[in-house]
Amino acid sequence: MSQVALITGGGGGIGGAVAQRMAAADITVVIADYDGGAAEKVKGEVVASGGKADALAIDVTVAREVKAVVTDVAKRYGRIDILANIAGGSRFTKRIEEFTWAEWKEVIDANLKGTFLMCREVAPIMQKQKSGRIMNTASNYGVTGSALRTPYAASKAGIITFTKSLALELAPDNILANTVAPGPTDTPRVMAHESPEARKQRWWPNIPMGRTALPEDLAEMYYFLTTPESAAITGQVFHVNGGVVMP
Amino acid sequence: MRLKDKVAVITGGAQGIGRATALMMGREGAKIVVADLQGEKAQAVSNELKALGAESLSVAVDVASESSVKQMAKATFDRFGRVDILANIAGIYFPKKSVVDLTEEDWDRTMNINLGSNFLCCREFVPAMRQQKSGRIISVASGIGHYGMRQFSHYAASKAAIMGFVKSLAREIGPDGITVNAICPGSANTAMPRQHRSEEEVLERLKATPLPHILEPEDIAGSITFLASDAAKFITGQSYNINSGNYMFG
Repeated sequence: MSQVALITGGGGGIGGAVAQRMAAADITVVIADYDGGAAEKVKGEVVASGGKADALAIDVTVAREVKAVVTDVAKRYGRIDILANIAGGSRFTKRIEEFTWAEWKEVIDANLKGTFLMCREVAPIMQKQKSGRIMNTASNYGVTGSALRTPYAASKAGIITFTKSLALELAPDNILANTVAPGPTDTPRVMAHESPEARKQRWWPNIPMGRTALPEDLAEMYYFLTTPESAAITGQVFHVNGGVVMP
Repeated sequence: MRLKDKVAVITGGAQGIGRATALMMGREGAKIVVADLQGEKAQAVSNELKALGAESLSVAVDVASESSVKQMAKATFDRFGRVDILANIAGIYFPKKSVVDLTEEDWDRTMNINLGSNFLCCREFVPAMRQQKSGRIISVASGIGHYGMRQFSHYAASKAAIMGFVKSLAREIGPDGITVNAICPGSANTAMPRQHRSEEEVLERLKATPLPHILEPEDIAGSITFLASDAAKFITGQSYNINSGNYMFG
C-alpha cells in the first residue's frame, strides 16, 4: 500500500514541489492549504502527472479546524505516514516599534502555532502506527536572525527547538521529526513582490552556488527525509540554501 | 540509478562507513575507486563491487602523504579519466589520552590523517572538478567535533577543523558548480568503537539513543550518497548530523 503524506502549504511554491516529488515516488499526497483553490490546482497537476492526490482547505492556526481535518484524513486513508508542515510565512517587513501585537501574533501563529497544532493532532496517529516522519519548515533566518523580521525569525527559531523536543518525545515510537531550513527561494509568492533582476542583484553575489533556490531543490530534501536511507536521522536541521548560511 | 557513470573516490573505503558508501554508490551506478591504507582489504571491497556489476579500482594510499595522494589521483585519472565525487572518509580515532599526556607525534598523526587528508585529497581532485564545472565533495567529520570528548581532544579538534575547512572550500568552489559538505556521524556499529570497548559496552552504547535504531554504516552511507546525487545540487557548506537522535546541534 502506498504511503500517505499530509502536506500543509501544499498549494504554495515549496509545498507544491514537495507534493509533486513525493507523488512521483508513489506516495499519496493530501494537499492542504489556506487557499483551497491553490490546493485543488496542485492536486490537478499531480494527478495529471500520474500521481495520487487529494486537496483540502485548512487554516492551520485554528485548533478545531486542524483536528477536524486530521481526523478526516486519517479516516479516509486509515493512516498518515508523513506530515510536512510547510504552511507559513510573513507579510511584514518593518521595525520592531511599528509591529502591532496583532501582527506579531499573526506571524507567530501562522508559523509556530500552526506547526504545533498539526503535530499535536498527527502524533497520536503515528504513535499508534509505531512509525512516522514529520518535517517542519524553518528558515535560515531562524538561525541568523533578520532585521525587520523579528516575529518571523523568532517563529522559525522556535520551530527548530520545538522539532528537536518533539523528536526526543516521539523517538521511542519510531517517529522521526526534522526541520528543513530553506534560504532565499524563488516561489511564486516571493516573485510576485520582486523582479527577477532585482532579486538576482540582491542575492546572487552572496550565495556560493550563484543563484537562489528553486522549490524543487527543497523538495528533494523533504523527500529524502521520508526514505529508508534517512531512518537514523531525527531532531536535525537541514539547511538547503546554496551556502548562503553555514551554521 | 542516482549516480550512473559518475566516478567516485572513497578514501577509507576498505571497511566500516567507507565500505558501505562504496557499495551503495556502486549499486547506484557509480564507478568506484576504493582507496585505503589497507590495500588488500580495499581490493576485497573492489571485488565485491565488481560482483555487483560496478566498475572499480582499488588503490593502497596513505592519505597523510603528499606523494601517495598524488599517486592515488593519477591512478584514478589513468583508469577513469575524470572524478565526480570525492568522499573523504579515512580517519583515525586513537590514542585515547589526556591532553597533558598527548605527545607532539600523537597530535600530528591525528591532524595529518584526519584533517590533512582532506586538504591533500581536495587539492588533487578539485582542479578537474573545476574544469568540468561540477563535483561533489563529502567529508566525514563527527559529532565529537561539536560536543567534544574527554581524552580525545586531538580527535575532536581534527573533526571540528574539517567542518571549518568544508565551509571555506564550499565558498571557494561553489561558483564552479562544486558542492562541499560534511557528515557528522554519531557512534556507529563499526570496528572503531570496538578498539577500546567490549562488545557488550559497544552494543549498550549503540542502543542508548533516543531513536530505537542502531546506527549502521549504511545509515551514514545513505546520507553521503544523497549528498553526492543530483538531488542535493543546491546543498553546500553544511554539516549534517546522522546519529539516531543522540544529539541535536544547529
